[in-house]
Amino acid sequence: MAAIIGPFLSLVLLGYAFGGAITYAPVAVVRESNGQFSSEFVGILRTQLSCQYGGVNCQNSYTLIDASDLASAQVMLRKGLVKAIIFIPLGFDQALATHTNTQVNVYLDNTDPISAAAITGELTQAAQQLSTRIQINSPTTTGINVILADFYRNVFYIEFMAPGSLVQSIMFASIIGGGISILEDKERGIIEGYLVSPLKQYEIIVGVLFAGVTKAMFSATTLFVLSLMIGAIRPSAGIVGYVLMFFTLFLTSLGVISMMTAYAVGATSRNAYTFTAFPINITLYFTSGAVYPTNGFPTWMQEIAKVNPEAYAVDALRLLIYKGAGLTPVLGDFAFLTVFTVIMIALATLAFKRAL
Amino acid sequence: MDLAVQTFALTKRFGDFTAVDHIDLEIKSEVFGLLGPNGAGKTTLARMLTTILQPTEGTATVAGADIRDEPGKVRERIGVVAQAMTLDVELSAWENLDIYGKYYGVPTKLRHERVEELLRWVGLSDRARDLVGGFSGGMKRRLEIVRSLVHQPQILFLDEPTTGLDPQARAAVWEHLVAIHKDQGITLVITTHYMDEAEGLCDRLAIVDHGKIVALGSPGELKRKVSGGDIVEAELSIIPETALRALEKADFVLEVKKKDNALTILVKNGAEAVPRIVELVDANGGKIKAITLRELTLDDVFLHFTGRSLGD
Repeated sequence: MAAIIGPFLSLVLLGYAFGGAITYAPVAVVRESNGQFSSEFVGILRTQLSCQYGGVNCQNSYTLIDASDLASAQVMLRKGLVKAIIFIPLGFDQALATHTNTQVNVYLDNTDPISAAAITGELTQAAQQLSTRIQINSPTTTGINVILADFYRNVFYIEFMAPGSLVQSIMFASIIGGGISILEDKERGIIEGYLVSPLKQYEIIVGVLFAGVTKAMFSATTLFVLSLMIGAIRPSAGIVGYVLMFFTLFLTSLGVISMMTAYAVGATSRNAYTFTAFPINITLYFTSGAVYPTNGFPTWMQEIAKVNPEAYAVDALRLLIYKGAGLTPVLGDFAFLTVFTVIMIALATLAFKRAL
Repeated sequence: MDLAVQTFALTKRFGDFTAVDHIDLEIKSEVFGLLGPNGAGKTTLARMLTTILQPTEGTATVAGADIRDEPGKVRERIGVVAQAMTLDVELSAWENLDIYGKYYGVPTKLRHERVEELLRWVGLSDRARDLVGGFSGGMKRRLEIVRSLVHQPQILFLDEPTTGLDPQARAAVWEHLVAIHKDQGITLVITTHYMDEAEGLCDRLAIVDHGKIVALGSPGELKRKVSGGDIVEAELSIIPETALRALEKADFVLEVKKKDNALTILVKNGAEAVPRIVELVDANGGKIKAITLRELTLDDVFLHFTGRSLGD
């Protein structure tokens, strides 16, 4: 069964993730020019469809969000609320009306190279479409240049993937060093040995969970150092960023360890646990946006991502490592992870009390 | 005198199944054996006494504390040696003992002294810093037994303490167990289904079957309860029904059990019985191939009380 379920899940999840065009990527539009041409340009962007599966399934590439000025749009980009800013400068309409070349500026969240590439492509198409229309109406060579600016330093795909791998190593440590070792201890009567000692029940649970957290943090930290060495992570974080990054890893470890502990203690047998733990791992990993941005997912996968703790962990890590974010942008992720962790600790405690 | 363990109609039911059925038992400062086949209820009884399981009915005092009301006190005062090896193989002998002492809150200085002393006592001082993973079965068992002594318990519960050990290692473990009782005055409660273990080690035994105690006493007393006779084992090539019935009726015979072509006959006096058995069998058309006379063992006692042998 495991030989079927695992590859099948990978096929479906990876297939839909990589096969999906980026849709509804949030993009901020700042208009300093409000004339006919700029309206037309925004209109093209709004109606432009991105198609997949041979043009059967077409959807908007972006969700356009109006921003009052460049500064506030940049704040949104920095918080990860939008993937790009389209800036239509003052004089855009004036220039086109007088048959002068002009430009739009695009600021890209290039820490997500897949979304950035998709947005760039679509924008260039829109600009060409508008230029062509103008040229048909009046035979000139007037054009719109799309000036791209990476908002952050260049981020390679391997760097995009790296935060997911850190979370993945926490998950592996939780499945093996957490769940399986607890099942072994249970089978061998070691946990019963704790029970006949004067140790309090909560002391046993805290001990078991933090043993797991130690292992998970050790693997994640080791992987982080390895990634630094091979250039898979080139952090732009300051000291606060590092502290927050390790806090993210800690919170994720505690939550995931508690989840797998609850699951292992409640499992009927070691086989039942092992056969199901790895499919759970595959599902959480591929729907977390670790390998492909969640904007490219079909809706049902996006729904999974919304309740997937790994998605929030990956998001927080990307904000902290590559965007040099402080506390504010990751508060939302922290809030979800905290709630998740509290629920999972409660479940683990309950499972322990029932099993012991 | 204070009793180490006293149970009051102690009962445990799992659904419809009654594993332990209103047991009243008193254990003094002694080496006490709970003897029974698998599923007889001896392990469930031990698990209740060590506070892992809650009784369904009744209660017990262990080392002066009630298992229902003061399980914490019970745990502080007892040591438990599980059947399976529960040492941490990735830690040294010394660390295994030390960390256990910490669970019991033994103060550091005292703990270190105890650990050194216990390791010396079981002859593992020179291996103290070695990882337990490389130890032999007998060494691990000895280490595990002394691990349960770091906090100086009043009662030590042991589940099948010599399962899987070779005869030499078993003898060494038994020797240490006897010494624990004699030298340190610790009561031992041993669950086992090994007759030689029960006979060689225990002052008193309770034979447990179907959740009840079917016999209680010292190994000698129990044997005498089976009306103090001898066992004649005869192997026959033919066993006619008439021969069997004649034997059962004979006044010198107490009990006859037949298995394939072998008869196990409990008799009052073995030396006198042998020629008469041969005579009786011959007269009824049977043919004896071999005949042996031996003393009653606990195995026979067990068979007598439970109707099955321990190996079953």
